[in-house]
Amino acid sequence: MRHGRTRFLIGALTAPLLLYGVFVASPYVQAFYLAFTDWNGLSGQARNVGFDNFTSLWSDTAFLAALRNNGLMLLVVPVATIALALFFAAMLTMGRAATSGVRGSGVYRIVYFFPQLLSVAILGVLFQFVYTPKNGLLNGVLEALGLGGLARAWLAEPAWALPAVIAVMIWAAVGFYVVLFAAAMESIPRDVLEAARLDGAGRAATFRRITLPFVWDTVQVAYVYLGILALDGFALVQIMTVGPGGPDNATEVIGLTLYRSAFTYGEFGYASAMGVTLFFITLALTALALRATRRERVESA
Amino acid sequence: MTVTPDDHSIHTTRRTLLHGATAAGTVGLLGGCVTAGGGDEPEAAGPVTDQNPLGVPEDADLEVVMFDGGYGDEYTRHAADLYQGLHPEAEVDHQGIQRVAETLQPRFVAGDPPDVVDNSGAARLDLAALSSSDQLHDLAELLDAPSLDEPEVSVRDTLMPGVVEDGTLDGRVGFLNFSTVAWGIWYSTALFADHGWTYPATWDDMLSLCEEIRQAGIAPWTWQGKYPEYMMDPIQSMAAKAGGLELVEAVDNLEPDAWKNDAMLTAADAIARLVAAGHIMDGSEALSHTEAQNAWCNGEAAFIPCGSWLEGEQQEVTPDGFDMAMGPVPALTAADAMPDGAVQVASSESFLVPAQASNPRGGLEYLRCLFSTDVARGFAETAKALPVVRGATEGVDLAPGLGSVAAALDAAGDDVFGFKYRLWYAPLAKAVDDATGELLTGRVDPEQWADRIQTTADEVAADDSIAKHER
Amino acid sequence: MRRHATEPLLHLALLAWAALVTLPLAWAVLSSLKTDAEIFASPWTIPGQLHWENWARAWQEASIGRYLLNTLIVVGGALALVMLLGSLTAYCLARYEFPGNRLVYYALVAGMLFPVFLALVPLFFVVDRLGMLGTYHGLILVYAAYALPFTVFFLHAFFRSLPTAVAEAAFLDGCSHASAFFKVMLPMARPGMVSVGIFNFLGLWNQYLLPLVLNPDPDRYVLAQGLAALAVSQGYRSDFSGLFAGLVIAILPVLVAYVLFQRQIRSGLTAGAVR
Repeated sequence: MRHGRTRFLIGALTAPLLLYGVFVASPYVQAFYLAFTDWNGLSGQARNVGFDNFTSLWSDTAFLAALRNNGLMLLVVPVATIALALFFAAMLTMGRAATSGVRGSGVYRIVYFFPQLLSVAILGVLFQFVYTPKNGLLNGVLEALGLGGLARAWLAEPAWALPAVIAVMIWAAVGFYVVLFAAAMESIPRDVLEAARLDGAGRAATFRRITLPFVWDTVQVAYVYLGILALDGFALVQIMTVGPGGPDNATEVIGLTLYRSAFTYGEFGYASAMGVTLFFITLALTALALRATRRERVESA
Repeated sequence: MTVTPDDHSIHTTRRTLLHGATAAGTVGLLGGCVTAGGGDEPEAAGPVTDQNPLGVPEDADLEVVMFDGGYGDEYTRHAADLYQGLHPEAEVDHQGIQRVAETLQPRFVAGDPPDVVDNSGAARLDLAALSSSDQLHDLAELLDAPSLDEPEVSVRDTLMPGVVEDGTLDGRVGFLNFSTVAWGIWYSTALFADHGWTYPATWDDMLSLCEEIRQAGIAPWTWQGKYPEYMMDPIQSMAAKAGGLELVEAVDNLEPDAWKNDAMLTAADAIARLVAAGHIMDGSEALSHTEAQNAWCNGEAAFIPCGSWLEGEQQEVTPDGFDMAMGPVPALTAADAMPDGAVQVASSESFLVPAQASNPRGGLEYLRCLFSTDVARGFAETAKALPVVRGATEGVDLAPGLGSVAAALDAAGDDVFGFKYRLWYAPLAKAVDDATGELLTGRVDPEQWADRIQTTADEVAADDSIAKHER
Repeated sequence: MRRHATEPLLHLALLAWAALVTLPLAWAVLSSLKTDAEIFASPWTIPGQLHWENWARAWQEASIGRYLLNTLIVVGGALALVMLLGSLTAYCLARYEFPGNRLVYYALVAGMLFPVFLALVPLFFVVDRLGMLGTYHGLILVYAAYALPFTVFFLHAFFRSLPTAVAEAAFLDGCSHASAFFKVMLPMARPGMVSVGIFNFLGLWNQYLLPLVLNPDPDRYVLAQGLAALAVSQGYRSDFSGLFAGLVIAILPVLVAYVLFQRQIRSGLTAGAVR
């Protein structure tokens, strides 16, 4: 059985690792190196500046605002998306033991998936029009519902701009996870659900004791994916918001600060330092999230 | 690990890099470094003749990469056609793009840029950084070359005043702007005639006219709130008119307390009074430039601040008989340092020849074609904007808006001014825009506005890593 | 029982989300058929007549037909490549112990965590030196490389969860390592492949930054670049209806593909979710 094992491994791994090494790893390694220089992105020269770029990050108001906003997005986006998606998925599949799911469940699953089909650029342009104060959809709906008093210039108020961006991220993401979670829930053996119901467990109890542990693996993958999404937000903010990144840094995200430093200010080395910092933050958070969810799985099992 | 700063510039020609990469295979790719590059082969040139004053090599191809935005690309194609006519053996490759920075930056670093670039639009390359990285070909030779229309007149003498100065960075002419832009406040002459309103000469007149306009059920002002720099132009225009060129220079030279100058504070306060009196259309602060301008074109608001490109940008949606016009920003006080008609003017649409272009002489020759009367006249007609070529619009039937801009420039004569801080110090420009957005929503008052900007100006002044300029 | 009392409420919640999702899209479609003046009048105006010429204009200006074809070539090629290489890598890392296994896995997964635009300039050099700038195969390789980390991350867990007994039986039958993978393990992993394939398709379809730098030739533009050009020119020429039309045209092919294949996609996801 060991026959040809090494040859197989070498044959299988060479191409992907070469591809990854050449196109992904080598540019990133260069970016790491650039983080310690004052390269302006255009010149043939760069001076080594040690850790200067990293120390100046902590007095950069835009970067700090970005860190705060991305942090908030990281708290809200994955949790809200997963909670909503779990809720809707459960609604679509629950009661399968007794009946064959909610009426129209197939249609819901098609409709819910729609937003996932829009590219971020389209999403940004579309929602810029949704939020626009005079003839935008949101204020139009509020007025039609007799809630005209709530209408406002959503993206121009510091208190509302970031929530408005976050809402778009959640709006776009929920559908995919509904479909994903619903698929996972449907694969729960019927007899398990049946048994729980016979034990007198209500919907909530069944969900907590059986459904959730069963789909936990999927939730974990979703969490990582959504977390990475929440740390980005660049394209959306750049297209939609005032400034962009405004008003007054209220929607600044790290990607935008980084982009501005690199391309507008010609501080490529400094921008690379931001990227490296973001990399380590993401790395730490991913490790933490995976640990935390793993523990939870043990507890709930 | 030692972190001593050392200067390790690696000068390798592109060719040796390519060789290295093929020879060393993957290792070369992994080890290859973006901060290498830049060859120094001698410039390709052909014989200099009367027909070919710049000595363009006749068989060399020409690659021009042009920003294709508000002004379209008819005029840059027109210039390419002229070039082709003069040099039939050359193959001219004209490309229109939208995001100049991302598309061209790697090519500059690689030492393989195009032969001419129109570096314009929102995603343009930082000209100051290009200059300090020696990426710009000196255009002095072009300026001294005979112009396309009249060989006895040099290109320099066909350009409007200020164009050469605008393009001078680090002591040499690195780029030339193609269009003259004047900033002011726009209104519909038809709407004003209907109501019997006249364009105000002073800010006090403006405020009382605003009251009148509101009574007519129209919002006096709207603005492009998503991009606060649009409102910064009236503020800095009023400040400059009140404080004179001294104030402009103090601001650009990052002098201490330049932003807390009385004239600057009064100008900010003038705009703040517009906000406080409720003269600005609801929700303007969240509108993109096109949204605000469309609302204005629809007659929802009477005034909008903008540069002279407005008419071209709005040509598809402007109602018939709207007759837009640009007025100079009203005088702030009775004792302004500059006369009433003074206008903020700058040139825009920056054309440059990269220092490392493979056919730089062709690049210069292309610019000689571009800055010709024919191309400039076509530009005024298709793009509805003013070219910087003298006399190019003579005899051309200008659209109403463009006509009003030309009239305002005539009236201003030598009383024109322009700020440089936006070009020189991009981080300061961002601080100005952030603060101005807050001022226009009443979340900061003029003093706080000035404080915030001054703090950033002081930081920029103290930061050794930012190259300084002086005027 | 209590569940009967809450039933209508739950239905209402489902309906509300469905409305929330469809409304902006329906509104975009409606706006794409209006004139600019109608768009600016109010979000609720019904177009006086249907202005299909907006669509024609957008189709032409954004060269959507050609860009769509380019996108299909690049995304299709990259998807096939990343699925093959990704599944092989994930399988090897999940089912074989060898020195450096963990290191390779973490190095691959770390690729998900770094912002792409910092790699742009160095990446340009790599692609340029290989002579692949502005070529289909160059873009395909780069797209595949950047989709690899997530593919491996997703499938790694999947291959781990497959029963070991089947593979062992295959080896006893005399299968080589390669045929055990292609004939036995890969078919078993099909559901997982479908799931990650959908993730990848959506990710690659929406890719914007990579082609911006690596694909400078307007003849080879992908759809995202065409749309960006449309959005930018809208910013200078004020053509809102054209922009809406472009958006709708860009959404439609994916939407149609999804509705046609949703059954397969769903069953793929269903099976993929079983661990």
